[in-house]
This record gives sequence, structure tokens and C-alpha cells, in this order.
Amino acid sequence: MSSTGRRGKSAWIAGVAVLSMISLAACSSDGDGGSDGSTLSMVVWGGDVDKAAYQERIDLFEASQDEIKIKLQLIPGDKYEQKVQTMIAGGDGPDIMQVAEGVNVYSSKNQIIPLDELIADAGLDLEERFGPVGSLYSYEDSVYAIPDRSGAMIVYYNKDLFDAAGVEYPTAEWTTEDAQAAMEKLTIPGQQWGFGGAGWWPQWWSFAYQNGGAIIDDEGRPAANSPEVVDALQWANDLVHVHKVVPSTSDYADMGPDMGGDPAFAAQKVAMNTTGFWAINTLLEADFNWDIAPMWHDEEQAVAAFGSGLAISRDSKKSEQAFQAIDFLTDAEAQTVIIDKAQDVPANLAVQSSEAFLKPEWATREVNMAAFGESSAFVFRSPLIPEWNEMQAAFADNLGTFWNQGGDAAEQLTLIQGKLESVLGSSSR
Amino acid sequence: MAVEIQVPPVATQADGPRSSKTTGSARTLKAFRASPYSYAVLILVSTVFFVPFILMFSIALSSDATSAKNLFTIIPSEFEWSNFSHVFSATGLPVGRFILNSVIIATVSAVGQVISSSLVGYAFARLRAPGKSFMFMVVLATMMIPSQITMIPQFLLFKELGWVNTFLPLIIPNFFTNAFNVFLVRQFVSRISGELDEAAQVDGLGYFGIYRRIILPMMWPILTAIAIFTLTASWGDFMGPLIYLNKEEMMPLALGLQYMTSTSNAMQLPPWNLVMVGSILLTVPMICIYYLGQKYLYEMNVSGGSAGVK
Amino acid sequence: MTAVDIAAPGTAGAQAPRRAGRRGGARPRLTKRGRSEALAFWLFISPWLIGFVGFLLGPMIASVYISLTEWDSFTPAEFVGLDNYTRALTDDPVFWKALGNTFYYALVSVPLGLVIGVWLANLLNKKIRGRKFFRTMIYLPTLVPLVATAMVFKMVLAPSGPLNDLLGIFGVEGPSWLLDPNWVKPALVVLSAWGAGGATVLLLSAMNGIPREFYEAAEIDGAGPMRQFWAITFPQITPIIFFNLIMGLIGAFQIFSQVYILTAGGPDNASMTIVPLLFREAFSFYHFGYASAIAWLLFIVIIGFTAIAFRTSRSWVFYETEVR
Repeated sequence: MSSTGRRGKSAWIAGVAVLSMISLAACSSDGDGGSDGSTLSMVVWGGDVDKAAYQERIDLFEASQDEIKIKLQLIPGDKYEQKVQTMIAGGDGPDIMQVAEGVNVYSSKNQIIPLDELIADAGLDLEERFGPVGSLYSYEDSVYAIPDRSGAMIVYYNKDLFDAAGVEYPTAEWTTEDAQAAMEKLTIPGQQWGFGGAGWWPQWWSFAYQNGGAIIDDEGRPAANSPEVVDALQWANDLVHVHKVVPSTSDYADMGPDMGGDPAFAAQKVAMNTTGFWAINTLLEADFNWDIAPMWHDEEQAVAAFGSGLAISRDSKKSEQAFQAIDFLTDAEAQTVIIDKAQDVPANLAVQSSEAFLKPEWATREVNMAAFGESSAFVFRSPLIPEWNEMQAAFADNLGTFWNQGGDAAEQLTLIQGKLESVLGSSSR
Repeated sequence: MAVEIQVPPVATQADGPRSSKTTGSARTLKAFRASPYSYAVLILVSTVFFVPFILMFSIALSSDATSAKNLFTIIPSEFEWSNFSHVFSATGLPVGRFILNSVIIATVSAVGQVISSSLVGYAFARLRAPGKSFMFMVVLATMMIPSQITMIPQFLLFKELGWVNTFLPLIIPNFFTNAFNVFLVRQFVSRISGELDEAAQVDGLGYFGIYRRIILPMMWPILTAIAIFTLTASWGDFMGPLIYLNKEEMMPLALGLQYMTSTSNAMQLPPWNLVMVGSILLTVPMICIYYLGQKYLYEMNVSGGSAGVK
Repeated sequence: MTAVDIAAPGTAGAQAPRRAGRRGGARPRLTKRGRSEALAFWLFISPWLIGFVGFLLGPMIASVYISLTEWDSFTPAEFVGLDNYTRALTDDPVFWKALGNTFYYALVSVPLGLVIGVWLANLLNKKIRGRKFFRTMIYLPTLVPLVATAMVFKMVLAPSGPLNDLLGIFGVEGPSWLLDPNWVKPALVVLSAWGAGGATVLLLSAMNGIPREFYEAAEIDGAGPMRQFWAITFPQITPIIFFNLIMGLIGAFQIFSQVYILTAGGPDNASMTIVPLLFREAFSFYHFGYASAIAWLLFIVIIGFTAIAFRTSRSWVFYETEVR
């Protein structure tokens, strides 16, 4: 008996020894890996398609020179901002990072570096390469990110369902009333819905701006409870709970976990859906007919644009190489990959207007790619305030039940307005 | 069974008078008599508790097509065993590396806890020193401090030490034990007869010698329990890796699993079947460890309330 | 080594004598031996002591200071006194909501988990066929890491998921759990109840240690199983129940992963609890000062509840020394 006890003990001791060695080895080797001179780290969000597209562009870059290598890492979309901020707070920010509406969360705290000097040194003309979008990621007169992807939100519609219901296809000429009438005709209760919904900020904000409203006014003050915004939000909500032409949250949940407008459109559960370019990729192999159109309008024409840029974090010790990489990645050759992979709309103007974009090779069916160009005329600029995350939290905190169960838009927006005023007021410089 | 043989004699001793029950008194006392009701309840509860596991397997074994359409059933209807190998390639994530990382972090942490808690627990149970009872009060008091209080300063400390993106912040604190484990060891050792170490002391064995040669060999049940607790906690820890580990190749499986939900299939949905395979990979080692160590878990015998929190 | 090792089995069956003489009481001045023993004591506890000072006490002091500042960790900290505390208590409805939710969760899930745990442990303590099997089945859920649990429960709690299917059998129309602000907290409680078997380990271990003679005596007196449970088992395991209660409360007040993965606090913060809120303030908004203040407020709450539990414990927790 005592011998078994001793055997157990020596096993423990041996185990300890082995494991300590493994851990030491692991730690030291990681130390070496971290200080590798020529490898840049780059973080982006997205899915498989995005990863493949970014990787192919990186491969092109690595082939174009032989000093700099890039290690790409995908971070879950819904946790991206928090993770990247944790990395930067820990002094371990990536060299290159994808930024979008949250750009000034970083720039206002100097977590990403101003690129003006690097831009000048490289002789890069942002206006020429990207048009008006070139200055999108500026904060206090400095540029903090180079545009990479950009494109308006568009309307996807299921031609088969439209034909079956005898409804005309959507166009930019549609009014809100036309859209609602179509949604009603396209809805078969409990089975099929006319529209995927507008619960995501770019969707219902588009309605608000169409209605002449704004979330943050021109003076930088919150205006979330203006009648224009209230009406637009109420309409978006009534589509779900009054007109029932949009699946409710529980309808979606019944279709499966993490269901939303995009997958529901692909599953032919909703006849129309407003989202970005990326859904095209999903739909290429769909066994039904569909196309895209520019967003309809109300008082005004307005639609949200999705875009993202590439920035360099303050922790990068190789900002020059990082910029060299960004310059390459946003230039024509690498940007063409974004089209070839059917990932998104490239920010590079020359690529955007090329045949490759308008008549993409992968187009197994006619896709109205001109919808993107058409939409860019009436894209509204989202307020990219430094308090973007707090602003989004204010909306999320106060609109959850509203979307799930219906409610009074004015009441919720008044709460949000109060929160926004305190957020913007408290952090005023 | 191999496990049975491994039981050190101490366990039976610490087991107390009740051990006679297992070694076969013919009559079962009323309090321990199982009624049909007991069986009914246990069967029902076990079934209900088991449903999520069946669902987990059902999803893990479903095809990509089923997964993409969320057409899952509770009882498995498909058996795509290949998912268990696909998970290592199809997600584009270094899942094998995730597992290795988890193994390293969890085992080294467990070793750290075992060593440190046995030392400290022994001292609190056996050695006399002025201020000891005060220190033990402090130990107990620290159990109530939520780790969130120290989370931010610790984060900044580890950042200064350059430990971000290494395993060190997850491992090293375990070498300094924690109050709960000290408490467990101390309770356990208090119940071991003092005659032996007094005798050994007479024979000239020092305090470390007594710890090493007499007490430590008898501590295995509690130390195994502590090892299991630490392994489980460390293996499943999510917040620590979330804060400290940034590179994919450094992540443990618990965090990697969440990253897996960011890879998407053609329908822009997470590959639920592979995510569930990942969940199974995360769960099965814990079940094995429990299976091997359960003997000790139920024999820890820490009921000695008299010395407890008071 | 061998001599000592072989001696060890010899103690089997020996009663652990109470070492009362060693505990408590005023001690005379230390002898030389006493000094060396004291030195050994401090050396032995040094791992804990170093960890306590380095990873707990030091960070705690730092945390107090940080909580009195406004600090994003990038720009210099600005001392703001008690502003962060007053802001949390008077000007942040989300804090109160999160605190309320945390109370709800802790005060429902912990007692519920304990009742289920004691109930199951008592059943498992019987001489039951397949005892080991049932014990494993009941403990199994606690072995599933929270991340995996959360993933599975996303499915289980779907509006047309297995749980609602089960309720449907009894003619109950299940709510859409995670999406409904009224049901999202019960959903988290359901998730925690699934892990209620965790308490059975310590409880069974404690029940195992109750001298059999007590039951024999009770049986002679003609007490039934229920009576025996309340008269013998329960009083004997109260220290462990109490221990589980305290640890359970402390753990429940710190709920994080489930919320972070399952609901991210939604809908409308209906499931936002203190730690995810703190995490969001710190790592999304870079309000390190405010986040530290929230951590201290949480600490005060935990201390408060622990104190209440201790106060009431005098009337229901029986320590061995009192029984014997």
C-alpha cells in the first residue's frame, strides 16, 4: 500500500518537473516570437470571406517586397472593439488595426497615431485615391486611418417572392409608403415577411436622416429625440409590432440562434433586407433570384454607409513599415482582391469604377452593381464622435425591449437623449 | 479498478466511523434506505440534467447543411463524426494549439496550487506562532474580496511586468495559493492525528521534514481535490484569457471557442456544429478528470466546523 | 523516508485526538523552540503572504486610489475625490439596474441551488443502486466550462428550444427567455440550477463524516427518515451549507461569463450585472476610475450580505464543538 502511495508521489513530482519545463519552454519561445523584428500584427473583424480576402491581400504585399511580414488575426465582430481596446490598454496593441465608426474612440485618446507625416512622406493623395471618403477618418485636423472598404447600405430583394406577390422591384424612386405597401403584400403571416427589419443603427438611422433628422446635430449636440427621429424610429418599430411585416425578435429566434435579417433573407424568410455588400457573397450560391437596389427615400434621400479604414496603434514600434503595408493594401492591386473575393466595396475610387467591379467575374447572375455608385450620392455621414461606444450603449440600453415588444419611440428617445447629453457633456474637453 | 487501489490508507482513517457502512454491515439504517421515490427523483433529475449534453452531441454530429439551417434535433439524427477532425482545420483557427495552451495553463496552475496550499495549510494546521490566528482570520477574510477589485490594478501591474500576452498572469498567482484552498488543507490536516509528527519531532525531524515525510503523504486526498478544483477552474476560465491573451496561438480553448463563433459559414452564421464539437473538447477532459478523482472529492471530509468560519 | 512511510498505515483507524492544548489561550514568552517554530510558520505561509501582499493588498490599495480618479490609463489620472461613487449612486441608472439584477440573481439562484443540492445530496447519501452513476450525472453539468454551457444554453433557451418543448408537454407556453426582459434573469437562474449538483460534493463529503451511531440511536428512538434528516443530517451539515451559502453568494455576485456570452447584458440591461458593467466601463469606455469605484461598491455589498449571513448563522449553524 505504501508503495502505491509512493509511486503516486513520484508521478506527481515527475509531472511537476515536466510541466514546469514545458511552461518555461512555452514562455521563453513566446518571448522570442514577440520580438520578431519584421512581422507586423494586424487585426480585423468578420467571417471566413473577410479572412480569406485580407489574407490574399497580405500575400500580395508580402510578395511585393521581402522585408515585412504580416500576421493576420480575426476577432469576433461583436467583441472586436472591446478586445482591441483591452490589447491597447495592456500595451500590446496591434500594428495595423481595422477601424470603423469607432475610429475617434481611439484617435481622441491617442491610441492610434496620426498619419499625416507618413502620408506626406509617402506622397499619398487621399483625395485622389478615395474621393471625399479620404478625409472620413479625421479628428482635429489629423488623419488617423486610411479608408479601406466603403459602400452604401443597399436593398436586397428576392425577385421570386416579388414576382409571386406581383410587386414591382424596388428602386431609389420608391417612397417610404411604397416600401411599406410592398412589405405588406409580401408578407404571409407566420411564414414570410416583407422586410428584414431596421433594428440595427445604420438601418433606422437611415430612416431618421431621410426624415430630415439627425442623431447628433451640426453643432455636435445630441438631437436624438427630435420629432423627425422619433417618427422614423416609431415607423421602423411599427413595421414589426403594428404592421407585422417584419419578423419579431422571437420570430427570428425561432428560425435559429443568432438569426437576423441577413441569414433570414438567404433563407427566403424575408423578401427585402437592407444591409451592406457582404451579403452578396452569401447569396451567390442561393437557389433563388435576387438583386440589389439603392435605398428608397422619404422627405430626403439618405442612406448609411459602411466602411472601415486601417490605422496604426500607438504600441506599434514599426509604424513606417505598417504604413507601407497600409499604403499597399489600399492601392489598386490589393483592393481588386476585395472585389474578386466578393467581400465588399473597395474604398479605392479607381477600383470602384473599374469594369472588374461593375461586371464582377463571380457574378453568376445579373447584379445591379451600379446601385452602390448611385447610392454614394446620398450617403449621410454618421457622427463619428469619440464617445461612439457610449452612444451605442445608450441606444442598446434603451431600445432592447422596444424592439422586442414594441413601445413608444418618443419615450425611449427622450431617455437616450438624456443619456447622450450627459455622456457628451461630461466628457466635453 | 486502478483508482481504487490508489487510495492511501489515510482516506479510510479520515473517513471516520461511517466507513463501516461500505465494508458491509448487513442492515441498512432507515436514513440510508433508498425508496422508489429516491430512484424516481434521481432518474428524473439525471435525465433533465443530461438533455443539454445530448443536444450538444446532436448539434456536434449534424452536417454543415443542417447546421447552416439550424435544423437541430435533440436526439441526434445525423452522425458526422468527421466534424471532430474538421474542427482542427475547417475553422481556420489553431484548435490543436488552443488545447495545448489549455493543458499547459491548467496543469501548471494546479501544480502551483497543490504545492503552495499544502505548505500554507500545513503551517496553519500544525505550527504555533504568535499572530497565527490573526493571519488565519485574514485568510478567511480574503475569501470575500471579489477579484474584480484587484482586476484593474493587477492588469496594470502585469502590463508593467510585460506579462500581457503570456501565460504568466494566469499561472503565477496560483503559486501563491488562495484562501479557499488554504482553508481546505488546514481543515484536512487538523483532522490528522498529531501523535505521528510529535513522534517524528522527537526523532529529530524538522518542520519541513514532518511536512514532507509525514503530513504530505497523507494529504493526497485533499491535494487531489484541490488539483481537480484548480484544473477545472483554470481550464474553463474565460475572463483571464480574455483580458491577457491577444494572440490566437496563445489562447486556451475556452476563449478560442468564443472565437470560433466568429468564423462563419456561407449563411453568415457561426458553424454551430463545430462550435459544439469545440464545447465537447472543452468538456470531456473535465469529465475524465472528475472520473479519475471523484473518490477524493467525496472524501475530503472538511466538515470540521469547529475550526471553521466563525 | 521508508520507515516513516510504512508507519503511516499504522494510524489507520486511530481517532484524531482533539489538540485542544495547542489552540488558543494566552501563551507565555516564546522559548527557543517556539521561536524556531514561529519562524517555520512564517516561512511556510510565505507563498500565501507574498501573494496576499503582491496580488491582493497592493492592488487593493491601488484600486482605492484609482477609484478616486478619472483615468483612462493613457493620459494622466485626474483626482476627483468621491465623484465616481456619487455618480454611480446618484447619477447612473444602469448601475442601480445592474445592482438590482445582481441581487435578484444571487438571492434566487444561491438558495435555490442549495435547496436542490441538499435535496440531491441527501438522496445520493442513501444506499442506492448505481449511486456512483447518479452522483456523476448530477455533478456532470458543473464540469462543463461556463463558455460551453453558455453556448449550449443559447440553444436550450431558444424560444422553440428543448426547454420550451418540455414545458409544452405540460401545457405551459414557454417564454422567449433570453429575449424577454422579464425572463432573461430567470433564464440565468435556470442555467445556474443546472449546475446545482456542484454543491453535492462538499455536502456528501460532510454527510459522510456524520457518525453512524447518531442514526442508530435515532432509529432506536423510532425516528423516521424525514425526522432523522432534520434532527441529525441537517444540523450536522449546517456548517457546510453555510460555507456553500457564503461562497455561493460571493460567486453569484460576481457572475460574468454567462452574461457576457449569452446576453451581453441585454435586452435593455435586463440581465446586466455588476461585473459585466464594470468590465464594460473599464475596457470599452476606459473609465478605469469609475470601474474601480463600482468594484468597491460591489465589495461593500458582498461584505454586507456576508455579515448578514454570519449574524443569522448563529441561530441555525451548529458547530461540532457545540453538538458534542
